[in-house]
Amino acid sequence: MKKLIEFRNIVKQFDNTVVLKGINLDIYENEFVTLLGPSGCGKTTLLRILGGFLAQDQGEVYINGEEISNVPAYQRPINTVFQRYALFPHLDVFENVAFGLRIKKMPENLIKPKVERMIALVGLEGYEHRDVTLMSGGQQQRVAIARALVNEPDVLLLDEPLSALDRKLRTEMQQELKRIQQEVGITFIFVTHDQEEALTMSDKIVVMRDGIIQQIGTPTEIYNEPKNRYVANFIGNSNILDGEMKKDYLVSFDDKDYECVDFGFKENEPVDVIIRPEDIRILPKGKGKLNGQVLSVLFKGVHYESIVETRRGASKTITLHVMDDRDVVNEAGNEKMHATDFTMDIEDVASLTSEELIARANAQAWNPDNEEDHPITSVSHEIQAKPGKYPLTFKSAKGTEITVSVNVVEPKFVEDKDNEIGIQAFDVYKSVDEIRESMAISVDLRTWADAYAWDLETEEEIAIDDVRFDFDANTIEEGDYPVTFVTEGRVYKVHTTEKQEEDALVSLDFGPEDIHVMHKEEQG
Amino acid sequence: MKGFRRLLYPYAVWVGAFIVVPMLLVMIYAFTTSGNSVLTFRLTLANFARFFSDSIFISVLWRSLKLAFITTVICIFLGYPVAYAISRLKPGSQAMMVLLVTIPMWINMLVRTYAWRGILLETNLSPEAKVYIGMVYNFLPFMILEIYTSLSKMDPNLLVAANDLGCDNRKAFLKVTLPLSVPGIISGITLVFLPAVSSFFIPKLLGGGSFVLVGNLIENYFVTTGDWNFGAAISLIMTIVVLLSMRLTKHFDYSQED
Repeated sequence: MKKLIEFRNIVKQFDNTVVLKGINLDIYENEFVTLLGPSGCGKTTLLRILGGFLAQDQGEVYINGEEISNVPAYQRPINTVFQRYALFPHLDVFENVAFGLRIKKMPENLIKPKVERMIALVGLEGYEHRDVTLMSGGQQQRVAIARALVNEPDVLLLDEPLSALDRKLRTEMQQELKRIQQEVGITFIFVTHDQEEALTMSDKIVVMRDGIIQQIGTPTEIYNEPKNRYVANFIGNSNILDGEMKKDYLVSFDDKDYECVDFGFKENEPVDVIIRPEDIRILPKGKGKLNGQVLSVLFKGVHYESIVETRRGASKTITLHVMDDRDVVNEAGNEKMHATDFTMDIEDVASLTSEELIARANAQAWNPDNEEDHPITSVSHEIQAKPGKYPLTFKSAKGTEITVSVNVVEPKFVEDKDNEIGIQAFDVYKSVDEIRESMAISVDLRTWADAYAWDLETEEEIAIDDVRFDFDANTIEEGDYPVTFVTEGRVYKVHTTEKQEEDALVSLDFGPEDIHVMHKEEQG
Repeated sequence: MKGFRRLLYPYAVWVGAFIVVPMLLVMIYAFTTSGNSVLTFRLTLANFARFFSDSIFISVLWRSLKLAFITTVICIFLGYPVAYAISRLKPGSQAMMVLLVTIPMWINMLVRTYAWRGILLETNLSPEAKVYIGMVYNFLPFMILEIYTSLSKMDPNLLVAANDLGCDNRKAFLKVTLPLSVPGIISGITLVFLPAVSSFFIPKLLGGGSFVLVGNLIENYFVTTGDWNFGAAISLIMTIVVLLSMRLTKHFDYSQED
């Protein structure tokens, strides 16, 4: 195939927003190319640059090897089908289609057969003298296509031409467009944000995002081998998971290792893993790779879409007690002393040592003049292995003493037997200064509260996905604050031809070839 | 829907009292001679015969039509470029320019015409030229606004499409913009030609007594001579001539066709 159009490093900026960030793209003869992306990704801008309605800031555009940046729109061998058709309301169907030929001053005896042939091609015979403003959207669309194609351009640009049509008509026009393209053998460049449209019609799909081409490939390549999470998300309906590539052919996600067919990643490289909903099979509980529960089932026409939860979210809320600093000052001995209340697990009482109590209460004695630390010489307490509050007193050699309160508690955790998940966390006692000085408060809260979640069956740790609290660590005042540790649930979309029962306990199964591993998207 | 019809009643009463009844009176007067009483009508075509048998009246009518026609043509040629230029500006500037065009219309037309009389007094222009200046000055804003409205309603994508189909800017204007602004021109013509053909105080003030138009004629017969019957007949003749000319312009307006 011959190369028809080349974009070389196209950059375009509007009001300090860079819309195209160096686009390089080759388009060949007789191709149906789709520029796919959400609105604002630059696809229409690229099309308008090719059409000659916008000038790029940098880069070159070649058609048939010739640079065309200085060729005005009306001289380019390109015609466009506009989003809102832009038919001339003062002309009938025939005259709309004949418009380009008349501008070129083609003899009348040539215009008539050409226009009639084109009107027939788009299936509008008998409508030649209709008023275009009184036609349906689909018919106007056909007129717009005929009006562009009659000029026999090298390329036909289509700027979201189907977006104004209803679903049924859109499907019909998709097939029509494909047929027309094959019949006339002209390169079509089609812009859309509709992935289904792109997959149906294109020979080649160009996925764009934020002015950058993400992936170029055939519909099958784009669907089966998306290059990154963005493309996978955009094309089709996928389960996308965070994972880690342990080694070639072995990927870990959702805290388990799976065999896969992917290789060539760095060891332990963080990756995105996708599993298409139609590649997952639903088996009775325990028979597959991941157990879960069917949350909901939706009928989608040819298949059922089930949402299966393999891990329910669990959460545990604790109280963060924020206290003012209670430094004890011993004027005579020129000494200051400090300690805070704390909470401890009943199981830990038996093995208590003085050193540990000093550490847990953060007990310190020092000379306020030179900040020199003084040793704590005596630790006295009546802590018992029974839930309750007990006094704990520290004394220094100079006779300064401070008493704090120790809260002994039963190990408290939320247990969810159905979901086989446990989560534990303790109340935290901290001074205002300690909170304000924290560099990463949610990490510190996890440590202080000893927050931990695990699988009740396998005892394996489950990541705490979120720490939720409603205070600003920089301006916190004395008081009690709730802090919630959350593990998020994991759900999989599964497409099956049989209807699944809601609430049924099931197992999900998939093979190594159903797992597709992608590099994480580069930042920026 | 039906409930809303009642909202029309006040207007219907207004129209009935101040338009339909006077029009009927004009018709009655036109087809009768003086000396009618409540009980006796003497129907006659004499008023019309008098008008058409006197070449002076015919030439006055002709002069009126010519004046209105030329005024309208000047307004189109002066107004179109202005309207086109305004429609190309940024939306904010467009509103500003439309305001500037409209501002003179805030002042009473009579007052403005008196002002023109003062301005033109010292010049050596012919009465005819003075009348044209006054007419164009007074009616131009209507033409500009109508053309501007039709141009601003035009989908700018149509020009992009014309460009795409091989038109340079000149061709795109001739093939797309101009034909699409015809409805605006037509309604501009309606708004300029109709009042222009029947205007009487502009010719009277600016042309002096020497420039007699149909409007002056009617005024003369109603106000000065007191021959209401003949005045009514002339009014009726002019109404018919105007209706015919409007029918003619509608013919060129594709958008009015079904």
